[in-house]
Amino acid sequence: MSILDVRGLEAGYGEGPVIKGISFALGRGEFISVLGPNGSGKSTLLKAILRLIPRIEGSVAVEGREASRLGPRLMARSIAYVPQFPDASFAFTVEEVVLMGRYAHLGRFGRVSAVESRFLDEIMDLARIGHLRAKPLGRLSGGERQRVHIARALAQDAPLLLLDEPSTHLDVAYQLEVYRILRLLRREKGTAILCAEHNINLAVLFSDRLLFLKEGRLAAQGPPRRLVTRKLIRDVFGAEVDVRRNARTSLPEVSLIPPDEDAPCK
Amino acid sequence: MTARKRRTILLAGLIVLGLVGFLTSLLIGPVPTGLSDLWRLVSKGDRDLAVIVVDLRLSRALLAFFVGAGLALAGAILQGFFQNPLADPFVLGVSSGSSFGAVLAIQLGLGVSFAAFSAQSLFAFVSGLLVVSFIYLLSRRRGVLKVETLLLTGIALGALASALTSFLLFLRTDSFEQAVFWLLGSFALAEWNQVGVVAPYVLASLLVAQWLARDMNLLSLGDETARSLGCPVDRVRGGFLVLATILAASAVSVSGIIGFVGLIVPHWVRIWIGPDHRHLFPFSALTGGVCLIFCDLASRSLLPATELPIGIITAAAGAPFFVYLLHRRS
Repeated sequence: MSILDVRGLEAGYGEGPVIKGISFALGRGEFISVLGPNGSGKSTLLKAILRLIPRIEGSVAVEGREASRLGPRLMARSIAYVPQFPDASFAFTVEEVVLMGRYAHLGRFGRVSAVESRFLDEIMDLARIGHLRAKPLGRLSGGERQRVHIARALAQDAPLLLLDEPSTHLDVAYQLEVYRILRLLRREKGTAILCAEHNINLAVLFSDRLLFLKEGRLAAQGPPRRLVTRKLIRDVFGAEVDVRRNARTSLPEVSLIPPDEDAPCK
Repeated sequence: MTARKRRTILLAGLIVLGLVGFLTSLLIGPVPTGLSDLWRLVSKGDRDLAVIVVDLRLSRALLAFFVGAGLALAGAILQGFFQNPLADPFVLGVSSGSSFGAVLAIQLGLGVSFAAFSAQSLFAFVSGLLVVSFIYLLSRRRGVLKVETLLLTGIALGALASALTSFLLFLRTDSFEQAVFWLLGSFALAEWNQVGVVAPYVLASLLVAQWLARDMNLLSLGDETARSLGCPVDRVRGGFLVLATILAASAVSVSGIIGFVGLIVPHWVRIWIGPDHRHLFPFSALTGGVCLIFCDLASRSLLPATELPIGIITAAAGAPFFVYLLHRRS
């Protein structure tokens, strides 16, 4: 059984749909990246799955259950989410923020058991933030903060994790660090991951399958090895690039070519 | 210092200060009273002394405590609600809105009460809720509301409500005392049934706020993240909006507008014990109560033979702090 089954999904914010006719399935422990130009509906797709936006049509099934019938807490036990610009007002500490991820399990008054406490320690180690636990979030660097929000999502202990461009605003070392955590998570806990990403090479390197969105529709999907071609990038992004095989991984790799100065503006 | 230790220190300090404040409140007044008189009252019973100490002074001290607790709790709720440490019922215009409602009910001569609610407190609640809902709707439409917009909208609405209140009071013959009471706040008219009006609301609101405190913590991550974590965001927000308004309106209907308590107290408590609302709510209430007992003491004893409206004391102490906070942020 697939963990996530999306059929004919259409969603928007009131002025016409932003995404239309999206169908795909995500298997247990599978890693899918969603790629596409800015405004193609990557974030909207994630939010529609989470039912965070007002107008949603079509069906989203999570572990075989229709998402619209799940209450907020059941939903939170099935799907965890790291938004694109995670934020926290007030000076909550790293540990407090990670603990907020347990709300769906603890409820309003539940206390953290010894087992759960060990689980939270394990997660903070996995995200390499154990040494920061007493620090307020505001004192951390962007990369550290991103890892705290990933740990907060992991604390939900959900079989499915959605991330919205987790590598944005991070330098190359932190980008790899975030993806290292995701791969580890998948290997150790069998978590399925759906990740909106703008960096094609990162997505190719870590994903089982890619979804390409263009103007709110699914333009292409499949395993990265065969899917990513020069023509596809031109069709979806309208950009001229070179696609070569990486010598080490033999995976396709997008490399930029200098634009033609004399070409007329599009 | 661990968070737990800081909370223990604060609790101990508040208990000591609270007891000192209550005791001093019982001893200070136009009729000189000493500890020996108090002892005589407790051991033998003295009717004249009982009227002064229990009916006048104790009721007043308790009223000051509960109003302070209610305003500080309302401030803590509004600050969490708008994710902004500069929010409070006075700055956002909720207190002025409630004050207008109460004065309007009096002016219309509505003596009737529905169930346990007097027309006066009902009007205070509705007009306070209108103000805070308006601000919230503005903030929803624009996504995250900027601090300046939030504060300026609140101040403008507060000024409008105050102008309408002043207009109604101007029409009356006894306008001076009434104006002082409604616009500057006072405990001079304190009596037991006012304690009975405000105390149940404060205690019940504290219980409900405690029940929703973890949800308020989640809201600090933003509404979408909070929802994805399992928090029923819309219902929680609705609940907090009603709670903050009940607190502000019940405080206003017994003591007029007392500003800045709701701003400074939760802010200071957050600095001391951290932002977790499960602790911030009860500690803000307790601190606000103790704080207002002392403000009331000051209002009774700063001038000989007369007393100052307490709103003057809280504004004199609070407004400079508010300006400091505004500048520290930018």
